[in-house]
Amino acid sequence: MISRRVLLGTGVVVVGAGGLITAAQLTHRLDDIADAVGLDPKPLPDPDDTRILRRAAADTARLLATVEATAALHASVDLTAVVSIIHEQLAAVGGATAPPADAPPADAPPADAEAALRALEDILGASAADRSIDAQRAGSPALVRVLASMSAGHAQSARLARRLR
Amino acid sequence: MTATDLLQAWLALEHEAVWLYPVIGARRADLVDRATTSFEAHRDTRDALQARLRSAGVEPVPGKLSYNVGTVTTSGEAMAAAQTVEADISAVCLALTGVVEGDARRYAIRHLTRAALAEITWGATPRAFPGLP
Repeated sequence: MISRRVLLGTGVVVVGAGGLITAAQLTHRLDDIADAVGLDPKPLPDPDDTRILRRAAADTARLLATVEATAALHASVDLTAVVSIIHEQLAAVGGATAPPADAPPADAPPADAEAALRALEDILGASAADRSIDAQRAGSPALVRVLASMSAGHAQSARLARRLR
Repeated sequence: MTATDLLQAWLALEHEAVWLYPVIGARRADLVDRATTSFEAHRDTRDALQARLRSAGVEPVPGKLSYNVGTVTTSGEAMAAAQTVEADISAVCLALTGVVEGDARRYAIRHLTRAALAEITWGATPRAFPGLP
């Protein structure tokens, strides 16, 4: 099977000083991944993949902001694992840790802890669905796998949020 | 690996799961409900994969008489064995997502998520990238 090191360590993990990676950088990174997983000939660069990866990065940055806000407001709820997972996913899609400046602010988490966890479960479930759709639409096999795996990871985090209620 | 190779690898793991969960249920009364639910899910998936392969003109791999999953005497051993088979299914489903398109990719993604959630059900810790070792 595909190793995590090969799929994630060779390319998509790019956090530039300016935040999101550029399309040109992305093209090279996906080519690197194609080499690493033995795809030959390499697929043509797909501009749709660039858009999908940018959206995944922006969505994941917003998700991280929401999870961190929930963790800060409800210190008695241990969301350490979820925060760590979303951080790792965000790094893998090359996103900045802060949402884009033009992104709408995330809603403040509910003051009630159970309601906050329910809201978190909902947003994690929605993110899982979004990444699943992205994986269905992506062209690069490497990107498909990263997004599909992220989707499953979000689903696991949603399950954890439910258990913490 | 081709899509057919991966479907066959997945089916082999489903055979193993269909064998494993009754063993867990028989040996651990505290896990029998969970094992029954898992058995039924994997039995249905096994049957669906066999049908997919046959419809593609491919003879599905058969199951084995038994599998070496280590001892499943304690709850911890049973949970570990279940986690292993579910994680292996996550890995093969993830590999499959990259070599198929359309309905087959949707099917692989859905079952990747299902296996990832089953890992949690059987006590695994959530991961950022289920399916990647």
